[in-house]
Amino acid sequence: MTATNPLLELDNVSKYFGNVKALENVSTKVVAGQVTCVLGDNGAGKSTFIKIISGLHKPSTGSYKFEGHEVSFESPREARALGIATVYQDLAMAPLMSVWRNFFLGSEPMRRFGPINVIDAKFARKTAKEEMAKLGIDVRDIDQPVGTLSGGERQSVAIARAVYFGARVLILDEPTSALGVRQSDLVLGYVRAAAARDLGVILITHNPQHALPVGDRFLILNRGQSIGQFEKADLTYERLIELMSGRIQAA
Amino acid sequence: MGDERISYRGPIKRLLVSPEIGALIGAVVVWAFFWGNGDKFGTAGSTANFLDVAAPLGIMAVVVSLLMIGGEFDLSAGVMTGASGVTIALMAKYFTEGGISLWVCIPAAFLLAGCVGWWNGFLVNRTGLPSFIVTLGSFFVIKGANLVFAKRINSKVNVADVDKAHGYSFFKALLGGENAFGDMKYRDLIFIVGGLLFAALLVLGLIEQSLVRKQSASVAELVIAIAGLGAAIAGVLILHRTDSINGNFLAGVLGLVGTVVAIVFYSRARFEGREKIVGALPDESKRFLAFGVFGVLVASFAGRLFDRNEERVMLQWMPGTLRMVVAVLAALFPLAMTIRSFARGDREVRGRVIASLIVRLPVICLVSLIGIVALLQLTTVQAVRAVVITAAGTGAAVCFYQSRRAVAKVSTKWFLTIGVLMSGSFVFVAFALRADSSAARFRGGIFTSLLLMATLILATTIVEATNRARTAPHEKADVLGRRMVLVGMILGSIALTVRLLLSDGVFRMSVFWWLFFTIVGSFVLTKTKYGNWIFAVGGNKDAARATGVPADKVKTALFIATSLMGAFVGAMILMRLNSVQAQQGDGQEFEYIIAAVVGGNLMTGGYGSVIGASLGALIMAISKNGIPAARWNQDGRFIFLGAVLLVSVLVNNYVRKKANEQR
Repeated sequence: MTATNPLLELDNVSKYFGNVKALENVSTKVVAGQVTCVLGDNGAGKSTFIKIISGLHKPSTGSYKFEGHEVSFESPREARALGIATVYQDLAMAPLMSVWRNFFLGSEPMRRFGPINVIDAKFARKTAKEEMAKLGIDVRDIDQPVGTLSGGERQSVAIARAVYFGARVLILDEPTSALGVRQSDLVLGYVRAAAARDLGVILITHNPQHALPVGDRFLILNRGQSIGQFEKADLTYERLIELMSGRIQAA
Repeated sequence: MGDERISYRGPIKRLLVSPEIGALIGAVVVWAFFWGNGDKFGTAGSTANFLDVAAPLGIMAVVVSLLMIGGEFDLSAGVMTGASGVTIALMAKYFTEGGISLWVCIPAAFLLAGCVGWWNGFLVNRTGLPSFIVTLGSFFVIKGANLVFAKRINSKVNVADVDKAHGYSFFKALLGGENAFGDMKYRDLIFIVGGLLFAALLVLGLIEQSLVRKQSASVAELVIAIAGLGAAIAGVLILHRTDSINGNFLAGVLGLVGTVVAIVFYSRARFEGREKIVGALPDESKRFLAFGVFGVLVASFAGRLFDRNEERVMLQWMPGTLRMVVAVLAALFPLAMTIRSFARGDREVRGRVIASLIVRLPVICLVSLIGIVALLQLTTVQAVRAVVITAAGTGAAVCFYQSRRAVAKVSTKWFLTIGVLMSGSFVFVAFALRADSSAARFRGGIFTSLLLMATLILATTIVEATNRARTAPHEKADVLGRRMVLVGMILGSIALTVRLLLSDGVFRMSVFWWLFFTIVGSFVLTKTKYGNWIFAVGGNKDAARATGVPADKVKTALFIATSLMGAFVGAMILMRLNSVQAQQGDGQEFEYIIAAVVGGNLMTGGYGSVIGASLGALIMAISKNGIPAARWNQDGRFIFLGAVLLVSVLVNNYVRKKANEQR
């Protein structure tokens, strides 16, 4: 059923800001357990694309379907309620707060303490640790500030958090752009681990080297236009580069 | 993938990364410093005095630190206390013919304050301007309003005689009441027993959290430990009863030896031993050992460098001023060497570096306090001597500690040797100081404290050398150990409270309110989701918003809380003094901010502690009260405040940068 019933489907979506065509006739689908990579150089329309999926913008034309139903989001909150979670580049974390406090920020688990509600710190610590372990990350000290983690580990906290809070589609905005080689590999590993837990993952990147090993489907954008959508089997690294640079059109 | 760079943290290290620990150490050091220097300082009466001074500052520091953690400042907080006092007093006297009940005036002042706080928050959120600018505007408006209304309605800036208003007696009792309980027969005994229980539970709790349990305890060693404990208790009781010098000496030795035996054999009985390591003494260890010995010598002979009795003075060929400069430089040398080695070391994980920087902040402040006071007081022999002894002694202790740490994983024999030397040097300094001084404090209190420290150092060295330290969490033992420490702290606080309350001191309700708000503030910050939101809003506002935290509401609530607390403090001071000056609170806002910063709160937001801020206020009150008690120049305090602020900002910037760096 996975291949035939996509979680999320965009059909000929365009977005205009006045007479600027930010995105034109883009179609793609996201399937549970698979990674859809969105590739493109700077200014290709990747950000607009994320903003449409995460509910920040409404598409000007075209259809946006979630689990087969047409949706139209008024705010990112509505998208989040359906399980469409976005991990932005700044990761939405407070660097001086501990890992577990960041993990549960905004959705703190509560416990009654006499007449007052207090944070269930024991549960929060345990859960944060377990959830990260499920992605293959061993944070030994869940009380250390997030700012002391490496860039890759920080990404992993953000991913684990999104997964735990019921994400079904996970949008990752350039998760490897600020990282070194080893850290990038780690993060790509977490991306695969998240997909293996039956999430649909959208990985936005401008680095074909990062996209090719983890992606199942590739959407290539150039100057707001869709160059095309490809399955992994149809692509080689060289062809990907050629497509991205816009030198040739899709056959 | 495990991160091998983040190792298990024992209880002491865990304690050291908490933001308030620096302020706690600072408060103890400043208190001890003035206790040793001013004869009037440290009695129950003077404690009641400085707590009364500290209370308004402490109460405000609580909310100001919350606001600061939330990433904002309120420069109108100080003048708000004046506005509240003026509002209440004017309404109570002039609102209608013959005034109006305080039951109306005080809520009205709170309402006004709430509006000011809301306005501050609204403007900051809406305009995105720095809160410094917005609240600076509010500050001047309120300051002006205070003066205008006080002069126009009351025709002078001092509004007095609120006591005629309806409801005065109730609010006086609630906000400005005095409590004197008088003496009690068993007071000292309760204090001693409570203190001993505190010390014992603290030591046992820390041991429980740091060592590896044996399968089954060894009974013979347990019996020896109990015997040691018995000797220690007997020693203390004899000390309490007898007055003869020989008797005291014997009882003291009995008590101290008993303590060491009890701690060491308890650890042997219940916890696993450690392999002996053999190795040479590393250079780092040798170097610090030399600095430590040097510091001990300086501290011991400082008394001889300056003495009214010319015959006893050493290095007589030097002019007096030069001798002082040499002594101060010599005293600072071991400290300087330690700070240099800290600055060079890069072996720590970044989180630890950040934490240790925050810990160091109050210590830096203290050094600057002592240094500046010393500069201002170079003419007072007694002051220089106190500074020299403190600096050299602290430096020596740190150097010995560094020396011992450097050898901990290399050689058991040398570890023990250095520990014993360290302990012995405390004893040496204790006797040297006692021989040199005539003050009762030095002969009694400081002498005893130094010997107690020597005992603890000896005991912990032996335990560390012979017992294996835990390297992984052990939930049961950790929980048990933490509870022991907690119970010990509660018992100790009860004993201290009994000692202070049942005395000649007059305690005001302000102290109670200070304690109350500290507990409430700390609870909100660390245990509720609102605390989490405050941290997040100050640490990364966009992140907070993205995860669904109502960031603007949190900030507005914090501004309102700050203004309301200003109104509360204003009412409190009014009830206490029965009159209010329209300029009251001007400039106080900076003291609140400094108290929060000294307490380990980051000026840039996102990190800090309410308890730390309260302790920061305590430090400031102690120095405010201690400087005149030591008959020194009071005005030097402002130089201290300025230096503290500047140093804090620098350290804060550094911490912030480090925390955001990619590794």
